[in-house]
Amino acid sequence: MSRKILIVEDDASTAAYVAKGLAEAGYAVEQCGDGRDGLFLASEGIFDLIIADRMLPRLDGLAMVSAIRAAGISTPVLILSALATVDDRVDGLKAGADDYLCKPFSFAELSARIEALVRRSDRAASEPTRTKLSVGDLEIDLLARTVTRAGKIIPVGAREFNLLEFLARHAGQVVTRTMMLEKIWNYHFDPGSNVVDVHIGRLRRKLEEGFGTPILHTVRGAGYRLAVEG
Amino acid sequence: MKPRLTISARIALLSIILALVSNLALVGFIWKQTSADAVAALHREIVEQADALRAVWRTGALPALADAITQAREPGDVSLVLAIFDSRGHRIAGYAPEHLAVPLADTPFRIAVLGRDGVWNVREAGYTLHPIGTDWLLVGRPLDLIEAQQVAIERALALAVFLSLMLGAGTGLVLARYVAGRLNSIVAVIDAAGEGDLSRRVSLVRAGDDEGDAFDRLAERLNAMLGKIEQLMAELRVVTDSLAHDLRSPLARLRTKTEQAVLIADPAQREAALGGLLVETDLIMRMLTMVIEISRSESVTRDRFTLASPVELAEEIGELYAPVAEEAGLRFLIEVEARPAPLPLHRELMSQALSNLIDNALKHGASGEQVTLRLREGTEGIVFQVEDHGPGIAEADRAQALKRFGRLDTARTTPGAGLGMALIEAVARLHGGRFELGDNAPGLVARLVIP
Repeated sequence: MSRKILIVEDDASTAAYVAKGLAEAGYAVEQCGDGRDGLFLASEGIFDLIIADRMLPRLDGLAMVSAIRAAGISTPVLILSALATVDDRVDGLKAGADDYLCKPFSFAELSARIEALVRRSDRAASEPTRTKLSVGDLEIDLLARTVTRAGKIIPVGAREFNLLEFLARHAGQVVTRTMMLEKIWNYHFDPGSNVVDVHIGRLRRKLEEGFGTPILHTVRGAGYRLAVEG
Repeated sequence: MKPRLTISARIALLSIILALVSNLALVGFIWKQTSADAVAALHREIVEQADALRAVWRTGALPALADAITQAREPGDVSLVLAIFDSRGHRIAGYAPEHLAVPLADTPFRIAVLGRDGVWNVREAGYTLHPIGTDWLLVGRPLDLIEAQQVAIERALALAVFLSLMLGAGTGLVLARYVAGRLNSIVAVIDAAGEGDLSRRVSLVRAGDDEGDAFDRLAERLNAMLGKIEQLMAELRVVTDSLAHDLRSPLARLRTKTEQAVLIADPAQREAALGGLLVETDLIMRMLTMVIEISRSESVTRDRFTLASPVELAEEIGELYAPVAEEAGLRFLIEVEARPAPLPLHRELMSQALSNLIDNALKHGASGEQVTLRLREGTEGIVFQVEDHGPGIAEADRAQALKRFGRLDTARTTPGAGLGMALIEAVARLHGGRFELGDNAPGLVARLVIP
């Protein structure tokens, strides 16, 4: 069964662009153009994800999200808005959204975030707590905070461990630079330089030097992916 | 709606009323007081007179009393009433009405009309009446004199009313003119501002370091507000002008590159060209976000602040950039010289400002060997300071470097929109601090001072 995504967006061209991309990625997409319809549809509770704009006719996006949460519906919500400052983002997350992406956005970024959100709710349902993560021959012990590859211990710093854990939790998925900045460092601004790339580069050298196969892959124009094969 | 008086008319009216009320109260008090005093004096006088005459009667009986009465009254004095009446109220001797109109009873003091005939009927008098044997002794004085005083005072009262009307109107007019004059100078400035001329200011009346009156304080606040508006408008103009310029060039580049990419036949080359387009687009987007962030930071309210430890803030951002600096072949040091207590900060904007500081140091100080992020506590507050050993910025160029979009090369050819410094300054202002550039001899030291 394909996953269902609700898009609440009053700008027709953005809605069509997102809907087309998601349909190609294999999602079932439903659209509506104002906040009240969005709330009505969302309250059915049949969606795996809601993508909502903020400035919507009839019912503001944030109010809609708050109402959905107040109704006890825990469907993940991703806000897609042109209101792009740090404080706007904080407001969005406070209202109950799970993620906040600013317009204009790249589709790669959006799809990586959607995948992360959808899988997260899956994971939460199927596997409550894990103490070990493994990707191929890479093993991460969350309790001892150690990393081994093919039985060999790889020394990593605290921040590198967090980074690796985040990548491993999203193994096989694309993780973007901004996602890492937000989740690992809790920064919601764009530092401009290739800051994240440098950190990934160091981690990659540790993970791959002396081992035959690459495991941390660069996805062009999007981000990185931790997976056995490219 | 009721027609309303102008403020000047209201002030004039108010001062008239105030003058009137105070004058009336004063004169009224005097009127009341003099009347009461006069009656009391009269009372005392006639009681004394009556006592003396009764003493005469007791020693010398009626003839002696009649003599005493004639002696007591100076000839022609009509203001003293002194007489003896028989038991039926007929005058026997002295000066009084022929027939007494008041009841024949022992009266200590009373005010009444004494007789029915002639002048007596219209004159009220204060009197005492005492029995002497079968006859009666009347001592009294008409109130004419007191009444005359009262009339004089009443006349003064009327004059006072008239004077206070004139005086009130006069001061009212002067006051109203003064207030209207002061207000008009303020109104003129506000009107000018409304029509777009923000350069005018209200001139102050006070001299030197004087506190100034209420109008001066109002004018000062207004001037300060206009100054702020003018500054914001100027900044806005710079932003729009610069946006036009700085966005035009990357957009132009984007357009050229797109045109070229369309024409490339080789798939691999086209792929590379398209990648270049993305980079260019991201650059424009970054600039836009930054401009919005700067503009918004001018109006961020303090409720967005959270309690954050400056040490953690510096260490976190330093940790983020340390590998980047090392990758660029620079030593990166985090020097925590003071451990100030957590204070309210806008963590994100502060981190972004520090990140811009370090980013600038890495970009422009690449020729030096070392970049230092230093946290110390100075006399003015907490100082975040980034030092590099690059070429630095000449003193004359530093103000320009702080301006939004201000880049030191006027042609704006090197990448980087030059917004970084402006954002740092905006963040410093938001926290009530300031941002300054100094000489690191050699290199640049950029300080973010938060009180």
